[in-house]
Amino acid sequence: MKRALFPLAAMVLGLAAHTAQANDLEKLLKGVLRGKGESSQPTPQPSQQPAPPTTPSAPAAPAAPQQPGAGTATPAPERPRDQLLRALIAGKTSPEEEARIGQQIAGNLLGAVPLVRDEALQRYVNQVGRWLALQSERPNLAWRFGVLDSEDINAFAAPGGYVFLTKGLYRRLNNEAELAGVLAHEIGHVIRKHHLELLRKSRGIAALGALVGGRLGDEHQIVQNLIGNGAEIVARGLDQDAEHEADRIGMVLAARAGYDVYALPAVLADIGHIARTDKSVSLLFKTHPHPEQRLGHLAEAVGDRFDGLPEGQSGASRFYRLR
Amino acid sequence: MKILILLTALFGLALPAWAAPGVMLRDEVLLAAADARAASVGRLARNAQVEILARQGGWTQVRAAGRTGWVRILSVRASAPAAGAADLAGLVGAGTTRPDSSRVVAVAGLRGLTEQELKLAKFNADELALLERYQTDRAEAERFARVAGLTPRRVDYLPRPARQSSDSATKTSPWATPGY
Repeated sequence: MKRALFPLAAMVLGLAAHTAQANDLEKLLKGVLRGKGESSQPTPQPSQQPAPPTTPSAPAAPAAPQQPGAGTATPAPERPRDQLLRALIAGKTSPEEEARIGQQIAGNLLGAVPLVRDEALQRYVNQVGRWLALQSERPNLAWRFGVLDSEDINAFAAPGGYVFLTKGLYRRLNNEAELAGVLAHEIGHVIRKHHLELLRKSRGIAALGALVGGRLGDEHQIVQNLIGNGAEIVARGLDQDAEHEADRIGMVLAARAGYDVYALPAVLADIGHIARTDKSVSLLFKTHPHPEQRLGHLAEAVGDRFDGLPEGQSGASRFYRLR
Repeated sequence: MKILILLTALFGLALPAWAAPGVMLRDEVLLAAADARAASVGRLARNAQVEILARQGGWTQVRAAGRTGWVRILSVRASAPAAGAADLAGLVGAGTTRPDSSRVVAVAGLRGLTEQELKLAKFNADELALLERYQTDRAEAERFARVAGLTPRRVDYLPRPARQSSDSATKTSPWATPGY
């Protein structure tokens, strides 16, 4: 353990030789964090440590949802940035840390595109969205849903319960069940922590830079440094498995909530008809598999599993029409 | 062209008014009823052109080559938006038949959702505060569902399918039809 106090500068020099090997980088980073953590706490008793644990081991299984009293309520002796980085890399961000990361992403996204100024619309989308989220294993997150004032066709999620769709996508929807399908897909990203996983995998270098640089003062800056520039994280996209998983969850949550389970596939089929060259879908198609592939995946995943499922509601008569 | 119109007029009479053109997304057995245990009345190959007639639960009624039967809803989709096609709400892909006003606006000038703009985005606390105001709590969501008659159902998560759909060959894809 003493060797964890190995000078940081030497590690950074060594980094140059390691950049091609992501796994090594991750190990290195963990080593650095372990060293930092212990050096700031002279005599820690591991058993008395609040979460996150002192020995961040290899990517642990996703933490159980809604861990009561997970860690950070007690003021930790560690500095926030060390704690946050450590938690992120160990795949064990606390609900508070997750919320903080999500807030930064959502705030930046809203800096690029504001909300549609239609209170009735926003409240309606929040009601449908919250009802869907209640069917998930994270019903008590601080879920917030918003319609963005953009004619682009897209939807976004951020950790901690933030879900957005654009006015352009909303305009294409035929009924409440289709809205539910779209929102439930995004809820899927949140409950499976897909963006936190993306950060864990890709922000290693930036995180190390922040740590070594030691210039980061407030928490706002620390989180911003983790997520990159502005809201670029939503432009980078998740991997295909994450999108397919969110589609499967989207169908299931909509079905659990009482909606037509086939509404999300209907939206995908609709979007699939838009020309790939159409600007309104360029970001969507860049960050997601083509709707054709997504529908093919859903057909395989569903098979005969929904054969006995009674037809759900379309909610067409309740559907809020854009002004 | 005249012949086409004539043919459409002739055969149009024989079809229900709400039939929409569709295409098979995968090989399927055509069943006599909307039930997996129903008798087979034929087979449909991927890319086969069909007429979409109706929907019942997770099943779509289609007609192809003179035979009518049922296939799973995810095995067929409505073809590209066709002028005058009926709006079969609820059928996969059928929602594309309405006029699309959004596209015109979209080409004219998007705001905020290019990669570059997202990268340069600055934190907006006021918009975030507005978002917080619209937040719906659990009780309100449950009240909404009660009024709407939405009853929770027990549905298990779908496991990841063992076999991934091999739709990479876009040349033979039913989506590669020119026109959209």
